[in-house]
Amino acid sequence: MILDTLTIVLLAAGFFFFFATTIGLLRFPGFYARMHAAGKGDTLSSLLMLAGLIVFNSHHFSVEALLVDLKIAFIMVFILMASPTATHAIIKAGYEAGLVQWQAEEEGKHDLAD
Amino acid sequence: MEDILARYNYWIYVLLMMIGLYAMIAKNNLYKKVIGMSIFQTAIIVFYVSIAAKEGATIPIIQGAHGAGLVPAIDPAVYVNPLPHVLMLTAIVVGVSTLGVALAVILRIYRQYGTVEEDRILEKLR
Amino acid sequence: MIWQIDLIVLALLVPCAMAAIALKDMMSAAITFGAYSFLMCLLWTEMGAVDVAFTEAAVGAGISTVLFIAAVHHSRRRVAKRRVGRIVFKLLGLSAAGAIGIILLWAASDFPEWASPDIPPSRHLSPYYITKTLEDTAVPNIVTSVLADYRGFDTMFETSVIFAAGMAVAMVLRRRRGREERTGRRVENGFARESPIIQTICRLLAPFMQLFALYVVAHGHHSPGGGFQGGVILGASFILLALAYDLDFVLKRLNEKWTLILANVGVLIYASIGALALLLGGNFLDYSVLSRILPATTPVMARSHGMLGVEIGVAITVMAIMVLIYANIASNGKYDKGL
Repeated sequence: MILDTLTIVLLAAGFFFFFATTIGLLRFPGFYARMHAAGKGDTLSSLLMLAGLIVFNSHHFSVEALLVDLKIAFIMVFILMASPTATHAIIKAGYEAGLVQWQAEEEGKHDLAD
Repeated sequence: MEDILARYNYWIYVLLMMIGLYAMIAKNNLYKKVIGMSIFQTAIIVFYVSIAAKEGATIPIIQGAHGAGLVPAIDPAVYVNPLPHVLMLTAIVVGVSTLGVALAVILRIYRQYGTVEEDRILEKLR
Repeated sequence: MIWQIDLIVLALLVPCAMAAIALKDMMSAAITFGAYSFLMCLLWTEMGAVDVAFTEAAVGAGISTVLFIAAVHHSRRRVAKRRVGRIVFKLLGLSAAGAIGIILLWAASDFPEWASPDIPPSRHLSPYYITKTLEDTAVPNIVTSVLADYRGFDTMFETSVIFAAGMAVAMVLRRRRGREERTGRRVENGFARESPIIQTICRLLAPFMQLFALYVVAHGHHSPGGGFQGGVILGASFILLALAYDLDFVLKRLNEKWTLILANVGVLIYASIGALALLLGGNFLDYSVLSRILPATTPVMARSHGMLGVEIGVAITVMAIMVLIYANIASNGKYDKGL
């Protein structure tokens, strides 16, 4: 029962962060803000969902389930190492290509009567 | 006609195949033709894999076979049909080999003619 | 087999495919094509084809995208403006695709229903493979046993096709340094400064990737995996180091001579095991007669060991050819500097 609740909580949290990442990717202005949202949100939500799968797999506790849990834990460590590195690589490529940070426009530009 | 409407999944496979075929015929850029070829290949692979699928069946690895001794009688309806999977494994690997050779030939053409657009290459050939 | 997920993924695939062929920027088209491959991999996992999805994830979504980007890097990045006169080809393409599509859809009325257990492809030969593989070969993974044992000839020639493709790429592209090339405008070549973060992480990850690749090769009898997937992951570890550092970094450790030698050795291992079976009195690639020289194995276990030996050969060839094809395409044949 506790394991069930924990699984649902972890998977729901992962789903929520994925959703927030997607909204951030679509709504943030500029390249750097979008990559910021995508990189961090992706990593965190993947880790949360994988943790939920580990808890779900430990229902029937046996040696095989422990082995599968260990493999999922290895995948979590790999994602923790590799996904922020990939985000860093993309942002570095954009910086070296010369993309500038998005700046908010001045307030007065939108008035028609000027 | 009702049969065709009932097999709605084949519509999407045929649509993907025809997207790939259209790209191979009508696109000007050589890279786009190669992408169309790859799309055609993966559409055919998904067609075969969908033939192998069975309702309520599990992956084709015999369960409970890690310990010593044989498992009791194996029911073929419990496992997905593994034969198209084997054929498609070969197809994927051959597909990526073909992709590598196609990209190498495109680079060679670019080195020789300076362009990867089909009509400009044909002009330079005449 | 949850058909709702299947339909959603299939519905996402069509815009991905259309975008991949319609985008004017070739880098974006290559990345969209990588996304299309990943969606395909997800679809096949959901349909129960785990070995096929594993291979597609390693080969299609990983290596194909890298090869595309490496090839586009050495030629133009934008699709050029079309001149007038392409409308004939577009109409021809549309009519040909439309006609063939209509014929295929008309033939689809004869096709079996999706996911029913007693369709003709599942009734004739595959029940024999499913029921008999454990007592014939002691290998639970039916796909591996069919691939390496029952249909071992196909896999041997598939390995030689990979070998021939690597040789074709080397023959087409390889040249000496210093020759002038007649090209047009080159793509902007701002080589990024080296990043210590990426280099450290890649250097830390590479040995674990190789260990995982060896695990995939050896454990292919009991879990999804096998020779191809393991070989591609081994090659991908070298390609990762070549992307993080420079191509020289990898070529100092695995130079061109060794990739050619290893590619040959893999196919030779496969054919030698077959010839060894011939010398011992059985048929070509009949692994059960190998029990005469392997100590204390029954003919059934000898088939399992023969399959492992054959998969090792396949993995060696695939690794060498992946590195060879990448090195040739990324350096445009000159082997001096990579991406």
